[in-house]
Amino acid sequence: MRRNAITVMLAGLLLMMSMLAACSNSQASLSQTNAQTGGKQTDSASSEPAGTASAPDSGSRPGNAGDAKETPRNETLYINGLQWGAPTNFNLLSGNPAFPINYGNSRELIYETLFMINMNDGKLEPLLGSSYTWTDDKTLRIELNKDAKWSDGQPFTSDDVVYTYKLGQKYEINWTSYWDYIQDVAADGPNAVKITMKPDNPNKLTVTESIELIPMLPKHIWEPIEQKAGNDLAAIRKEFNPNPVGTGPYKMYFYNDQKITLIRDDNYWGKALFGKLPAPKYITHVIYKDNAAGDLAFKNGQVDVSQQFTPQVWKMWEGGAPIKTYLKDAPYYLPGSMPSIFFNMSKKGLDNASVRRAIAMAIDYKKISQLAMSGYSADMKPSLTLDTPSESQYVDQAAIKPLQWTTDVDGANKLLDSIGAKKGKDGIRVLNGQRLGPYDLECPYGWSDWNAALEIVAQNAKAIGIEIRTKFPEQPVWNNDLQTGKFDIIMNTPAGNVTPSNPWNRARTIMYSKGVAPIGEMAFWNWGRYKNPQADEIIEKIPTAQGDDAKKLYTELTKIWLTDVPSVPLMYRPWEFYTVNESVWKGFPVDGDGSNIPPQIAIDGAGIKALYQITN
Amino acid sequence: MNAYTKYFVKKTAWYLVTLLIALLLNFLLPRLIEGNPVSAIASQVTQGMTDSDSIKKVYENFMREFGVDKPLYVQFGIYLRHLFTGDLGTSFGLYPRKVSDILASAVPWTVGLQLPAILVGWILGNVLGAVAAYRRGVFDKVLFPAALFVNSIPFFTLAIILLYLLGITLKWFPISGGYDFQMVPHFGLDFIGSVIRHHTLPFLSIVLVAIGGQAIGMREMSLYELNADYVLYSKLLGIRDSRVARYVFKNAMLPQITGLALSIGTMVGGSLICEIVFSYPGIGTWLFTAIRQLDYPLISGCTLLIAMTVLLANFTIEIIYGIVDPRIKAAQMEEN
Repeated sequence: MRRNAITVMLAGLLLMMSMLAACSNSQASLSQTNAQTGGKQTDSASSEPAGTASAPDSGSRPGNAGDAKETPRNETLYINGLQWGAPTNFNLLSGNPAFPINYGNSRELIYETLFMINMNDGKLEPLLGSSYTWTDDKTLRIELNKDAKWSDGQPFTSDDVVYTYKLGQKYEINWTSYWDYIQDVAADGPNAVKITMKPDNPNKLTVTESIELIPMLPKHIWEPIEQKAGNDLAAIRKEFNPNPVGTGPYKMYFYNDQKITLIRDDNYWGKALFGKLPAPKYITHVIYKDNAAGDLAFKNGQVDVSQQFTPQVWKMWEGGAPIKTYLKDAPYYLPGSMPSIFFNMSKKGLDNASVRRAIAMAIDYKKISQLAMSGYSADMKPSLTLDTPSESQYVDQAAIKPLQWTTDVDGANKLLDSIGAKKGKDGIRVLNGQRLGPYDLECPYGWSDWNAALEIVAQNAKAIGIEIRTKFPEQPVWNNDLQTGKFDIIMNTPAGNVTPSNPWNRARTIMYSKGVAPIGEMAFWNWGRYKNPQADEIIEKIPTAQGDDAKKLYTELTKIWLTDVPSVPLMYRPWEFYTVNESVWKGFPVDGDGSNIPPQIAIDGAGIKALYQITN
Repeated sequence: MNAYTKYFVKKTAWYLVTLLIALLLNFLLPRLIEGNPVSAIASQVTQGMTDSDSIKKVYENFMREFGVDKPLYVQFGIYLRHLFTGDLGTSFGLYPRKVSDILASAVPWTVGLQLPAILVGWILGNVLGAVAAYRRGVFDKVLFPAALFVNSIPFFTLAIILLYLLGITLKWFPISGGYDFQMVPHFGLDFIGSVIRHHTLPFLSIVLVAIGGQAIGMREMSLYELNADYVLYSKLLGIRDSRVARYVFKNAMLPQITGLALSIGTMVGGSLICEIVFSYPGIGTWLFTAIRQLDYPLISGCTLLIAMTVLLANFTIEIIYGIVDPRIKAAQMEEN
């Protein structure tokens, strides 16, 4: 009898223990299979692979060649920082494919996009598409490259383009939203495509984005897969697709839980376009356990291109190692996104624009850059645009200057005094009977750069008499809080990649109130539920505006944002970290080398041109 | 119906009830954590989407696919139905991997860590305890406090201390993982060597505590037996010391054997935190990852496995004892 009681208790206790394990903070941590998704990036200083606990001698499934033969070091380009766990699948439609299949970064290794985005100048360069023209206000005509063919020898035609676009119309996949603006995509002969926009909702910005972002899929491969799955997306998602057929210069060679290797396709059609084949015969992404392991391998020359957040990168070349970043001096990396804090507009105290502005003025951006970003974030110039030539041209900088805040604690205190927020006995201000705090400031646990940034913000707020406490729940909890508006202040990156639709898309993400569900239901942008009809109107106008008109609208919108402060950018973050080690491969593009090859890790968008430039 | 059958039926019923409660908790507890279980996968799938309707649809589709949109009691029914067919479901976090595959890959690591540690700890601990009880003197004066000290350290604390001293400071052993990450698992000397190097620290942190605990238990039991009347009687009869010692230790071993059986039963869940500390690719690390990702099926799978092994071990012991232990036999008789 007694032993029964003990058993029950024991079983219960074990369950409790396992629950408690959640609170114990230890070395193990969450996996980030795709730690690098446009701006939604963990600095994974603690990102552990999703366990690759395969029992000995299992888990390797060959791609083309079969055995895990080592590839010669001088023929292999090693990359890290894009894959943290065992490969899930190589199916673009699954939503969580493994390297090198990717949506959102224009990764041109196996599947290619019609055009290559160049983050240096924001221009689109020809790839599968040779040119694009707006034949009228609503129609985009794309000429395709006649030479293009799939790795199985089939020609690449307009049917493939139409098919790929229409997959987004048929199913809820990454490029579904383009159909909000697109009426139809139709072939115009075998080597041209016409995209017509919806007359009531045209949007040149996003349609232009689509031609550099959507990876082209072969109709003759995927149509049978669709049929086999009964046109059910859930079933299509389960397709593993071990050997993807694409138009790109590489094919799958080998993968297991430790690495993924691609082999060059020597019949690559692009030889005609680029004049030669890419230099590396193989490209390997080793799946490192965490940043530290990846950094060590990079430092030792076992990795050539690192897409990892490496603190104090200058120490690497001070030791004499042939390591480079794109920019020779600080901030070393080009900015690509702005991780920001969003205020919940319905919280008492935070609903006052002066309070929000005071918080923005209290924040020590320099310290955040130093401590959280190792100094990789340039001086903060608050705006809806990044401080890059290609984005800042949209806004009249002189006009917004008077409204831009800088770190100014005295000014912030004066501002709070002027609205009558007096300090109480405990040093915390009270505004109209409402104590300013405690407010929770939230971001996911383990995103160490974000955690550090928020700690600084909380400290800074104390100096102006506002009480802010940091709160670091697990990622799913943060995600849920963000969407349902269950927060006071929360950190997230609005629209964090470099595409033709930015800065419009970023502004929309921060400020657009139509289609945003009320608090308690899920919203997918404007998480603080900011509402301003004037801003909405401008956001709707921008996509169809040109030149000076667009600039006027952007400037107006930026002024509204600077006045209302619905969000505060804390730092600039690169779209992709790009650090190279030239022990094996030399001639990687850097700033000012005249090549205009952007720092897109030698495999994304126009960055892939680096592969034709490097040599042993 | 004889006494033993009755005993057997009663025990089985008890254990089934316990199992059902364990299943319910398994199912319910993970779902009490706040947060959205589909957000991890859905936010990847919706990358690039900008309209609420499609994004919402993706969330809804996943909720439907994972079955978390239904009321809890319906979900519980489905969960039970799937369990009967041996289907533990699909992991949310590592979608679309099967939970059973993940567990199958993790169990060998956990067993490989625990089984040697339990056996070595048990054998060494018992020998040391018995010797200490029999010899007394200096040996006992040193060993007993040492064993007490080691045994009172929670083994995850010991794990962290070992990690810090031997892993981080002295760099003798790797600090995490099951084998060198750059290696492809194969049967070769270098790989096996790597596994052993990674195995050492977690193994030590479990085995040291186990030795201490066993030694104390064995010493106590031996002392108790040594002072028993039959020992004195045997001595008066002039039976040789070595023969008496044999009887004594045979008797003292009984509870120790029970202990061994129990610890083998709790093997799977016995080193959760130690595994987490060393990121060892066993059940503990998976459970931790699953909890952090709100991966309901994987959490339930891990906890179910742990609960089942504990229950099964206890049940087996009770049944066997019912047959072999005269005291329990007597109790059965009395009840009739």
